[in-house]
Amino acid sequence: MSVATVIEADRVDKKPRKRPNLLGELARLPLYLWAAVVLIPFWWMIIAAFKTVPELMRNPPTFFPQSPSADSFYDPEYTGPGGDPDHVAGVFQRWDDVAGGFLRFAFNSFMVTVVVTVLSLLIASLAAYMMTKTAAPGRRIIFVVIISSMMIPWQVSLIPNYLLVSDLGMTDSYLGYIVPGLAKAFVVFFLVQYLRSIPDDLVHAARVDGASEWRIWWKIILPLLRPALAAMAIFVALAEWNNFLWPLIIIRSDELFNLPVALSNLNNAIVSSPGSMGVAMAASMLATLPTVVFFFMFQKHFIKGIALSGIKA
Amino acid sequence: MSVKQTVRPEPEAEPARPVRRPRRGHRLQRFGPAYLMLVPFALLFLVFLVYPLGRSLYYSLTDFNGIRSPELVGFENFTTLIFEDDRFHTAIWNTFKYVIASVALTTALGLLLAMSFKSTSMRDRLLRTVFFLPSVSAGVGVVLVWKWIFMVDSWGLANTISRFLGGGNKAWLAEPTLSVPILVVLAVWGGVGYAMVLFVAGVNAIPDELYEQASIDGASKVRQFWHITLPMLRPVTVFVVITSTIGAFQIFEPVYLLWNRSSSIVGGPIDSALTIVPYLYDMGFNRFQLGYASAIAWVLFFIIFIVTLIQLRVTRTFKEF
Repeated sequence: MSVATVIEADRVDKKPRKRPNLLGELARLPLYLWAAVVLIPFWWMIIAAFKTVPELMRNPPTFFPQSPSADSFYDPEYTGPGGDPDHVAGVFQRWDDVAGGFLRFAFNSFMVTVVVTVLSLLIASLAAYMMTKTAAPGRRIIFVVIISSMMIPWQVSLIPNYLLVSDLGMTDSYLGYIVPGLAKAFVVFFLVQYLRSIPDDLVHAARVDGASEWRIWWKIILPLLRPALAAMAIFVALAEWNNFLWPLIIIRSDELFNLPVALSNLNNAIVSSPGSMGVAMAASMLATLPTVVFFFMFQKHFIKGIALSGIKA
Repeated sequence: MSVKQTVRPEPEAEPARPVRRPRRGHRLQRFGPAYLMLVPFALLFLVFLVYPLGRSLYYSLTDFNGIRSPELVGFENFTTLIFEDDRFHTAIWNTFKYVIASVALTTALGLLLAMSFKSTSMRDRLLRTVFFLPSVSAGVGVVLVWKWIFMVDSWGLANTISRFLGGGNKAWLAEPTLSVPILVVLAVWGGVGYAMVLFVAGVNAIPDELYEQASIDGASKVRQFWHITLPMLRPVTVFVVITSTIGAFQIFEPVYLLWNRSSSIVGGPIDSALTIVPYLYDMGFNRFQLGYASAIAWVLFFIIFIVTLIQLRVTRTFKEF
């Protein structure tokens, strides 16, 4: 299968081979039920975020918030620890030792995601260009080395990377958080595959006209790579937004938490106070919502990117 | 020695471009910018991947707690892991149970969904979006939601449903036999949409003529599925199985978050949820046995490598049928 066939398959509207029949619909019934079940955790998260503490612990639980409240986000009646157990610190009332609190973590997540996505795609596209559109000796062996590294699970380099970052004095900093993850072999692999399916003529013509390699990369290759970059940007951004283990290890001070680490922090707090579960759900909702919005904005790219990755392999 | 070797002919390519071979300096001048473009990636790759891999290999052969300098102990870490460490054996066993169940279910159900909702009709697109949504929102947030669902208290959602079905209240996260099944539920919920999208792309890339021809020949739908759809989907299936297997071996977040009572305990009730990466984390970052944890990482690599090879071999055998 080639890339073209997948994209075409997506475009060409397939005529249904048979009219939908009653039996077929009946057989599908369990699948519809399953689809509803798939959505339940989302529903459960959203309603929990808008319940009050007493309602959270009502038995049997309510499936619609009876008296919807935003207390889980900000509870004006919260008087501090040791006060009324029905009023706990909302998402935006916690971490008062950090300027901005939860918003600061959202900013950290956002900033790191953007920086990692942009930088890792830029350096990978440079490497991919060098390996496909130039005749530089050694480019093939370099490609093979980079690809082979994809076989090794990243946890293998976890401990030495942690020590290396410590040695460089970069623990507990944006630098130590961002830089070690910038060289992404699978992005190079994907971009190389994509560039190989593009004819060299444009590049040759530009060279004949005396354009420098950098100019060709910026003016010709990057625009040509746009669909592939979009697909990869989605993968990288989503992975970075959800990145947990690395910041968990490398970040010590609260100011540098990303959303997953902040949520995990909240997870520890819940153990001692189950009433905080609504707050945890409110925070989870705030952390998950951007990815869902992002998905609906770029649904086409998402699906195409995944389909392409499957065909490329 | 034969005569042929002494009168070796000139390599054929040689006479074709005798003058154009550039001198060394020339070459660097010509390809300098190209190499320069590789520098950012290559530098990061060497410093934060290749070098750490070498260091990790070295640490795996040492006794190292992060403070004292590492002390070489040969293969002791590996022999301990393989022959003595019961906790590690539990972790391996749990991981395998989890990988097999989650990969098999994700693949089979992903294919089922793809076959059921493969068209571009409004209904199919909507359902595909629903099934794919959990894959988008994967992360710590949704694990917390599941933790909330599996609350031990009677007002937890899982308990409410269990009572409704006549099962009574259960201490879901305290019951050792339920640990791996819960992890599998999370994996299927979060991964089936991804497999489905890949299968939909694969199914729609199968030429219609194949089905038309088979219909004319009188082949039933079931036969068409077995003899056209499945064989044509082989590459996609291999991809789904291998990528989800590799991902499943590396499971960490759900284990770490669902069962933590305090941040220093990993693995759930009597280690029933302990898998390889959480064990690595526990050894490395709770107990600071960095040499031992490095050895665990290499065993993980080795297992994934062997399993992937076996999967590739098995699928190649299938191809010959």
